[in-house]
Amino acid sequence: MSGAASETQRDEPAIETYHTPHALHQPYDEARDDGRTRPHWAPLMQTIDETGAAELARRWARAERRIRENGVTYNVYGDPQGTDRPWKIDMIPLILPQSEWAGIERGLIQRAALLGEILNDIYCEQELVRSGALPAELLLANPAFLRPMVGAPIPAASYLHLLAVDLARSPDGQWWVLADRAQAPSGAGYALENRLIVSDVLPDLFHHSQVRLLAQFFRAQREALQALSPAADPRIVLLTPGPLNETYFEHSYLARYLGFTLVEGVDLTVRDRTVFIKTFTGLQKVDVILRRVDDSFCDPLELRGDSLLGVPGLVDSVIAGNVRVANALGSGVIESASIMPFLPGLCQSLRGERLLLPSVATWWCGQPPAREWVLGHLDSVVIKPAFPSRRMEPVFAANLDSEGRAKLAERILAEPHSFVAQEQVALSRLPVWESGPAEPNACGAAPLQMRPLVLRAYVLNSGNGWIVMPGGLVRVAGEDGQVVSMQRGGHSKDAWVLSDEPVDRFSLLHPRNVPIELRHEPPLLPSKSGLNFFWLGRYIERSECATRVLRATVTRFPHAGLSELQCLVRLHESLDLGQSKLPKDRNARTLPQRFQQELISVLADPEREDGLFWSIEHAYQAGNRVRERLSLDMVQLLSRLRSSIPAQPQPLEDYPRILSEAMQLLASFSGLERENIHRGPGWLFLSIGRRLERALSLCRRLRGMAQPFGEDDWPFLELMLEAADCSMTYRSRYYTTLQPLPVLDLLLKARPNPRSLDFQLAKLVELYQKLARHLPADLETMREALIGLRALDLGKLHYPLPNAKDNAKARGFNTLRGFLNDLETVLHSWARNLVARYFSHVSVLPIKVGE
Amino acid sequence: MIYRLIHRTHYRYSHQVDVANHIACLRPRELPRQHVLEFKLGIAPEPAGMVERADYFGNTLQVFSIQTPHRELVVLSRALIQVRAPAPQQAAANPPWESVRDRLREDRSASGLDAYQFAFDSHRIPLRPAFAAYARQSFTPHRLLRDAALELTARIHADFKFKGGATSVSTTVDEVFEKRVGVCQDFSHLQIACLRSIGLASRYVSGYLRTYPPPGKERAIGADASHAWLSIYCPGPEGCEPVWLDVDPTNNCVPRDGHIALGWGRDYSDVSPLRGLILGGGSHTLKVGVDVEPIEEENLVETASAPAAI
Repeated sequence: MSGAASETQRDEPAIETYHTPHALHQPYDEARDDGRTRPHWAPLMQTIDETGAAELARRWARAERRIRENGVTYNVYGDPQGTDRPWKIDMIPLILPQSEWAGIERGLIQRAALLGEILNDIYCEQELVRSGALPAELLLANPAFLRPMVGAPIPAASYLHLLAVDLARSPDGQWWVLADRAQAPSGAGYALENRLIVSDVLPDLFHHSQVRLLAQFFRAQREALQALSPAADPRIVLLTPGPLNETYFEHSYLARYLGFTLVEGVDLTVRDRTVFIKTFTGLQKVDVILRRVDDSFCDPLELRGDSLLGVPGLVDSVIAGNVRVANALGSGVIESASIMPFLPGLCQSLRGERLLLPSVATWWCGQPPAREWVLGHLDSVVIKPAFPSRRMEPVFAANLDSEGRAKLAERILAEPHSFVAQEQVALSRLPVWESGPAEPNACGAAPLQMRPLVLRAYVLNSGNGWIVMPGGLVRVAGEDGQVVSMQRGGHSKDAWVLSDEPVDRFSLLHPRNVPIELRHEPPLLPSKSGLNFFWLGRYIERSECATRVLRATVTRFPHAGLSELQCLVRLHESLDLGQSKLPKDRNARTLPQRFQQELISVLADPEREDGLFWSIEHAYQAGNRVRERLSLDMVQLLSRLRSSIPAQPQPLEDYPRILSEAMQLLASFSGLERENIHRGPGWLFLSIGRRLERALSLCRRLRGMAQPFGEDDWPFLELMLEAADCSMTYRSRYYTTLQPLPVLDLLLKARPNPRSLDFQLAKLVELYQKLARHLPADLETMREALIGLRALDLGKLHYPLPNAKDNAKARGFNTLRGFLNDLETVLHSWARNLVARYFSHVSVLPIKVGE
Repeated sequence: MIYRLIHRTHYRYSHQVDVANHIACLRPRELPRQHVLEFKLGIAPEPAGMVERADYFGNTLQVFSIQTPHRELVVLSRALIQVRAPAPQQAAANPPWESVRDRLREDRSASGLDAYQFAFDSHRIPLRPAFAAYARQSFTPHRLLRDAALELTARIHADFKFKGGATSVSTTVDEVFEKRVGVCQDFSHLQIACLRSIGLASRYVSGYLRTYPPPGKERAIGADASHAWLSIYCPGPEGCEPVWLDVDPTNNCVPRDGHIALGWGRDYSDVSPLRGLILGGGSHTLKVGVDVEPIEEENLVETASAPAAI
């Protein structure tokens, strides 16, 4: 979505009904009237003055930290750095008095009701097209008109369960509709998060201003979704396109806030015309889908064939009446701007009312008079696709040369029904508070710039009437831009509707006066989430192991002699480094330099799959995919962990500190993991992932001990203990006498040692047993591995001690090495079996045949 | 003419398919010139559920899913169909083409609206000035629609080379127009694109072609395979039943009793005979066999009850 500002002079429009005079004047100033602060802005301006730039900057830094740590993000498409970009917002809200809001509210409700009626007609009787009230092209040529949905048994309230309307204010103070979002409107969750952030930065002002609250709106949304299904206690899921979607943060945020299970298309399956969610215990029926997937992507079988974001068979299930989708599939047909010129007439004929909230002047080129007018006034309009699914960028014909304009005119004439022209509204402006380090202001006054804005408002169909969110998502243009778009560097704001009366602060999402039934059944875990928990456990453990090993290495490296260096390299290689750049030839002269390069690369190269950066990034990604199931503390920890390792190489001497910090975060994570996660299936998979990964890294490291120790190898023992965090345990048993066999015993066989291989295998047996539907054969495999480990007789190993009169030869190492090799193979295949057993059906994307 | 029709689709998968959702569009339409005496759809392995419903264009869809693991899928459609040549009075409708184009935009009758949806671009058929220019060589001002349409059909037949395997289902109309080769599906898409680019309504017909040869004639191309052609909206005078003129650019003919229509849509995507989404499967191979056999009336009973192996 984008709105644009311009003050281009233009001729009077030829068609009278489209006449709008608002592009001609100075933009409307939201905060000031004729240079004087508007009364409803006065308290805010006063607060800003009194608080002072320094204090505001301090508070804002806190807010930004909160945004980063809570992982409030937004993905920008086509930008390599675009994923998980921190959400951008500034602290000054748009402020609207109740008196003015009441008018907007009435207009929004009327518009939503009208659009709902039109949709209902389009997918049932099509009377509007037959009577000529709606041009047939708006359906028949519109790719968003989903033919399979015509006549489907769809509850009227689900056509427009939620409508978002982009509003702009013209120079004369009038609000206009720029666009309607009717499929899967985004932004309501960000509006909620904005509210939390801003009310935290301006707490006193917020509490004294009687700002209308948002919670009731979301509660109503949850109830409305429940009411869509005839089931008594319907299962509701929120369908997301996945973590790469621009607003994925919001999907997981809303899923958690509303209490719905977050699913991707691959989590759902249609059997017997019914939608089920794949959980690791089996299929569970889904009654209502709140979707954030666009119309045509929802069912690759019957809608757009080249998408795999959706659920094959969903359309058929809707037709069978077995599932409700909100907004109903096909609702995107009224997002077309081409419908706008017909709304005043339709409002009159369908509702007998004047359209309260006008659309921005729009000409649909499918009508000959409108087309002629547009072709004669190309300079003063924006040309857009009539059907948004055509992905055409808006064209400002004024910016084209004569050849470009001729080509544009030719395109319009070839397919007139595919184009609309819209007037460029001179958007109203409001102050923004620019944060940033380099803005000292001597007089203490906050620097305020003015930027154009668009307000996205939300209307909900409760089933018993329409409810408008009191507020919405404000977006302002980027610094130099006239185009208001989050994708193009704009940012967002909160919107405050000031009530005339005290607002009820009773927490509406957590009513205290409603009895609630106790529930003991485990929460529903989609298989895909289980898989992400599994990988979260593996990557966290992989990160922890690498952090320990690297920390032990970088602290010793600067003053290590050659023999210690060789031990460091040996430890380093236990990290399973497929992409190691260390030469095979360990020349004493070049080794230090080569090893330093290798260390830096493992620490900081984001492309190295075997590097620390990669492991931490993937732990974060896996966590992000189940963020709605993690505590806020864990989400914050993952964010901090992610930013603890710089993406740019640092001097090696800085890494001991960096790695110690990361180590503390990892330790906190495992603390939360033990104390903070419900012992449900998610935790089981997380723990299995962690134990499995630790067992694998132990196998690799212990292989380094399956050989005789020369004098130069002795430092390796110390490293082994440190890498396994067992130095203290060892000392409490053996004091300072370091010898291979006791170290081996501690790391391999000591049952109470949570860092020993025995402990990992015993845990894997215990955890796997608790999984529903586990395979007895795989359980047996793990049991046998443990029995094999316990049967290993370390007494048969003999490490000749250096400098000792020891005549016995080194022996027993082949058995140990063989055991560790075999165990590593078994663990890998066991892990593959686990993934196949529980997750294969969500790891494989469906394949399209027959087209 | 009565035909016994067998259409066998056989998928083999390199890996096991766990779940499959399919839609078949294999039941021949009931038409004034075409009567379905018998229709059976056999599917192996046994589908978990099968629902028959009509799509927006009036074709019958069979929606089914297979929930047992399988390595191959066989869909066998068997039908007995009686086909007649189109009635001669239908052939009479022949207004100037511009009047048809202009009337489409105004006509809000059910049949007019139904036709109008076939005047726009669709998933596989874009509108292009180049297609319009190609069409206009035949659609000269005030020319009668039927005459111009037959000429366009003949020109495509002459200008484009039939070459099996030269194109695939994913070949675009633009490529076909540029390379001048293709199969029945490509020629139909192209001619539809030309007609729509000048504002006429045209729909894609999926079906079968009778297996020839009769004595002294060449064997028709497209036999023993699914076939495709197109219909052009060509309404008669006000008050008359609307007429769709069928043309077959692959064989440069007007379909008579040798063409059996399965169904129609905006393009192939709307009426692909069997499509689906499978979970698992790896790579697959597809074998399609079509047999269109004209039979004598007296053999009917025996034929209808003959078991066909899947």
